[in-house]
Amino acid sequence: MKDKLAIDHLFRHHYGKMVSILIRIFGLQHIETIEDAVQDTFIKAALSWRNQQPDNPEAWLTKVAKNRVLDLFRQIKSSKGREHIVGSSSEAMLITELFLDTEIEDSQLRMIFTSCHPKLHKTDQIAFALKTISGFSSREIASALLTKEETIKKRLTRARKIIKEQQISFKIPVGNALPKRLDSVLAVLYLMFNEGFHSNKQDILIRKELCGEAMRLCQLILKNETVRNSDTYALFALMCFHSARLESKLTIENEIVDLKNQDRSQWYFPLIQLGNSCMFKAVDTSIFSVYHYEAAIACEHLKAPSFEKTNWKKIEEWYQQLYSLNPSPIILLNIAMVKLQQLEFGASYRILNELSASDFNQRAYLYYGAWAEYYLEKDEIDLALIQMEEALNNVNNEAEKNYLLKKKRNINN
Amino acid sequence: MKKFMLIFAGASYEELGLSPEEIQNRMSKWFAWSEKMSKEGTVVHSGEALHDSVTRISGPNRVAIDNVAIESKELIGGFYVVSAADLDGAKKIAQDFPDYDLDSSVEIREVMEFDD
Repeated sequence: MKDKLAIDHLFRHHYGKMVSILIRIFGLQHIETIEDAVQDTFIKAALSWRNQQPDNPEAWLTKVAKNRVLDLFRQIKSSKGREHIVGSSSEAMLITELFLDTEIEDSQLRMIFTSCHPKLHKTDQIAFALKTISGFSSREIASALLTKEETIKKRLTRARKIIKEQQISFKIPVGNALPKRLDSVLAVLYLMFNEGFHSNKQDILIRKELCGEAMRLCQLILKNETVRNSDTYALFALMCFHSARLESKLTIENEIVDLKNQDRSQWYFPLIQLGNSCMFKAVDTSIFSVYHYEAAIACEHLKAPSFEKTNWKKIEEWYQQLYSLNPSPIILLNIAMVKLQQLEFGASYRILNELSASDFNQRAYLYYGAWAEYYLEKDEIDLALIQMEEALNNVNNEAEKNYLLKKKRNINN
Repeated sequence: MKKFMLIFAGASYEELGLSPEEIQNRMSKWFAWSEKMSKEGTVVHSGEALHDSVTRISGPNRVAIDNVAIESKELIGGFYVVSAADLDGAKKIAQDFPDYDLDSSVEIREVMEFDD
C-alpha cells in the first residue's frame, strides 16, 4: 500500500482550513476552544492512522471537522457567547455550504486579514498568522523568527486577548479600508518570506517552509478578484524569482553561495516563468510599489546569463526608484555596490561614506563587507582585509560567518 | 515463534505541543513501521493507543483514584503484540519505534505461553 500521507503538508494546511471555517461559524471569541479542538482532531487521526490509513485522508479530515462543528455547538451553547452563534435552524445547510472549496478559501482569507488587523501589534501579526493559518507550533515559530518560544507564546496570548477584548470581526474589510489592510497583509507575507529567504539560519527546512507558506497565502489572495491588486501580483512575482534560486543559494553544507558564484543552471525555471507571468499582470497599473521594483531587480539578475553579463545599469535604475519609495540605508548600500560593479569608484565611495555602521544595527557586517568589496575592487588588499575583519567582528550567524571567512581566505590568496 | 508485548511510554503528542506538520511526520513514520512489520511477516497480533488519563483502583477497599498523576516519561501511551523468534528479534523490531527522539521508550515483555 502506498503511503497516502505522502501528501505534503496535508495536516498543516487542513489545520488552517478547519480553524478558519470553525471561527467563521462560531466567532473569533472562541478561537482557543477551536484551536484546541482542531489540534485534537490531528492527534486522534495520527493515532488511528498508524496501522491503517483511510482511502481519502482529506475527506476523512473534513468529515471529522464537520462532526467537530456539532460537538462545538453543544460545548459552546452550554457556555456563554451563545448569541454570537449563527441561527440554529439553518445549521446543517450552513455547515455544508461553508465546507465548499470556495467558502473554505474565503474563510482562510478572512483569517489572513484578521491576523493583520491594525489593532494587533506588528510583531504579533506574523506569529499569529503562522499559528492560526499555517498551524506552526510556538516552537516552530520561535525557530523561524529567531526568537524564544516564551516570547512567541506571549505574543500569541496578547493577540488573542486583543481580538476578544476589541471584538475584532472576522471579515475582509470593504471600501476604503480594504487597500489599507491589504497593504499590511502583503507586508506580513513579505516579512514571512524574507525571514525564510534571507535569514541564513541553520535550519534550511524551516526556511523553505516559511517561503512556501508565504507563497501559498499570497496565492490565496491572488485567487480572489475583489481583493487582489497589482501589488499582490508584484509581491508574488518577487517570491517566485527569489524562490527559483533558493536551492542554489545554499550548498548542502549550509554554506552561503553568493550570486556571483551560484550555479545558474540550477535555478528553477518554472518558477521564473510563473514570476514573469505575474509580473505582466503586476505592471497593469500606473503606480508601482516597492514589490514591483524589488521584483524587477530580482528579475534582472535572473535574466543575466552570467554574473559578468548582468545589466547593472538597469538594476541601478530600479534601485533608485526603490530608494525614492523606501529611502533606507540598505538600499543605498546596494546602490553603492551596483555602482562598484559598473566601476564607478568615486560614486560608490561617496555613498559608502554617507553611511555608517550604526545605520544597520545587527547587520553592520553588511556595511563592513561592502567596504571590503570596494577596496578589493580597487586592489587595496590591506584595507579590504581590515574591513573584512570588522565584518567578522559584527556577524552573528554561523553560515554568514563562514561565508565571510572563506571570502577572507580568498583575499589572502 | 514467541509473542512479545511492546509497551510504549512517554509524553503524549498533546502534551508535547507538536504542530500538525510534526504530527503528520510522526504518523508517517509509525505507518512505515507498521508496514515494514507486516511485510517482514512480523505479525502484529494486536495494538492499541491509549488515552492519557489514568484511573487506578487499589487496596482491599478497592479505592479508585481518577486522574492519577504520572510522570510523562512513564505514561503508557499504547502497545503492540508482535511475533519474534526470540528477545533479540523483538529488540530488532523495536529499533524502528519512531518516538525515541521525543524521549519516549519501549518496554519489551515476553507473553507467557502455556501447554495444554
